Amino acid sequence: MTIFSLSEVRKTFTNGEVEEEILKGINLSLKEGEVTALVGASGSGKSTLLTIAAGLQPASNGQVIFEGHNMAAMSSEGVRKIRASKFGFVFQFAHLVPFLTVEEQLMLMLDVSESKLSKQEQKREVNRILTSVEMDHRKNAYPSSLSGGEKQRVAIARAIIHKPKILFADEPTASLDSKRSKDVMALIRDLTKTLNITTLMVTHDEEMLSYVDNVIKMSDGMVLQNGV
Amino acid sequence: MNIAWKEIKKNKVRFLILGSIVFLVSLLTFIISGLANGLSQDNAALIKDLPEGQFYMNKDADETYNLSRIEGDLQKEILIKQKDAAAFSIQMGFLNDKDEKQQSVAFVTSTDSKLFKNVKQGEIILDRSLKDKGINVGDTLTNNQFSGEFIVKGFVDQKKYSHAPVAYINMENYKEIYRVKEMQLVFIPGEDSSTEFTGLQSFSNKDFLNTIPSYNAEQMSLNMIVWFLVVISGMLFAIFFYMMNVQKIGLYGILKAIGIKTSTLFKMMWTQMLVITVIALIMSIALSQAFNMIAPEGMPFYLTFETTAQLSIVFLIIGFIGSTLSGIQIKKIEPLQAIQQGEA
Repeated sequence: MTIFSLSEVRKTFTNGEVEEEILKGINLSLKEGEVTALVGASGSGKSTLLTIAAGLQPASNGQVIFEGHNMAAMSSEGVRKIRASKFGFVFQFAHLVPFLTVEEQLMLMLDVSESKLSKQEQKREVNRILTSVEMDHRKNAYPSSLSGGEKQRVAIARAIIHKPKILFADEPTASLDSKRSKDVMALIRDLTKTLNITTLMVTHDEEMLSYVDNVIKMSDGMVLQNGV
Repeated sequence: MNIAWKEIKKNKVRFLILGSIVFLVSLLTFIISGLANGLSQDNAALIKDLPEGQFYMNKDADETYNLSRIEGDLQKEILIKQKDAAAFSIQMGFLNDKDEKQQSVAFVTSTDSKLFKNVKQGEIILDRSLKDKGINVGDTLTNNQFSGEFIVKGFVDQKKYSHAPVAYINMENYKEIYRVKEMQLVFIPGEDSSTEFTGLQSFSNKDFLNTIPSYNAEQMSLNMIVWFLVVISGMLFAIFFYMMNVQKIGLYGILKAIGIKTSTLFKMMWTQMLVITVIALIMSIALSQAFNMIAPEGMPFYLTFETTAQLSIVFLIIGFIGSTLSGIQIKKIEPLQAIQQGEA
């Protein structure tokens, strides 16, 4: 079942008097529970597409449809609410809050998503997710004492703690070595399948494509190929 | 979750430095304000202790009470019409004590009134500070322009004028010392400025204080220092939070990306400002009040609860403005920028 789609999405940047079209009428749809990878050379527009899909920047034209609503026509507050409660984010770097412990990072996300769970239930949920990413033993640690791989695991846990519908991941393994990259990708795939989360991920590491259900190849702001 | 408090706990040193600066600035402000108030009391407690009302002096006196003379008939007419009114005069002078040592005083005399001490001819009531200089009740004091002697009948607390202790004397004795027939001023308590008398100019208590030579200049200088310190503390907050915010632009961007409200980030900053300011103010208030109690005898230091409360509120407001101004950049932060910047 399609949960998210882009229709004729265009993005134009103006640099002085020069107008550059980065995305040239993108159409795509994401199926519930699937992991989709956006691949392509640098400058192909994949990161721009991901950020538009995630509501982090507006499209110049076109529609971004999530659960039947066009996000492109929503107010910024409306988009923020969707980002907080329905989307999860994993970035190239973990971007953890430096003054919060691992447990508090996840509790913060539950606060942001306006979770209806009681404090005790929230704590139980945090423990459960931390166990699933094998970080429960470091729940009182601050980010400064974590390794790169551990930070990224916490970032993934933070991205899914509130049970988002869609997980957006922008090169989540780019700052990790090969072994840790595979571990993180396996984790993203396992969690999204277990929790039935739809994932859209940007990567240029072809090794990671074995973990995805669908690959969208981009070039020069257009979709070249849509399918495995 | 109180992320503001968690950040303070994790970055204790950073916040301790800001807190210490706010503490020192506010302490200095309280001390200078105490000195300003103390000097103000020392300069004009006689006038400041009077209830709100209207002072009248001769229009030709050019707003200088020393040059004012209230014509006898007019004075009589006002005092008949206004039962609580008092005509009075103040003049600087000297008293010779039993050891022939001269003591500088402000002679004050008035018509029969509850507002001023009324004494019989040959009697004198002094500010208590003269007791510390060895003058006691029953002592005989003289004045070079006065033919008789003054017998000390008692002391009053905190009655100073122009940094000199007040000496209440009888009107007849005053007239003899200063070779005058009229009083300088009329004071009508509770009166609004609408009542006018021909040939007289009216002043509110505050306006009258400003006609006292040196009072205005002295208070202006000290108050300017106080307000400079208040503004500096506001700038400190603005600069501190600006630096903090610049360092945290990436973090704020990510927090915005995951859906945190901009208002939550502002609340976080305001909470931190409030925590730091309140702790710094509690410490500086405690220390300034302790100083109030142990201040050396000769130091005119007077810090009231009202002044402390007013300044504390101003500090909180200025801290709020300073941090909010620096926080405007938070509003401008785009999540996308932060993501593209790399690790915060």
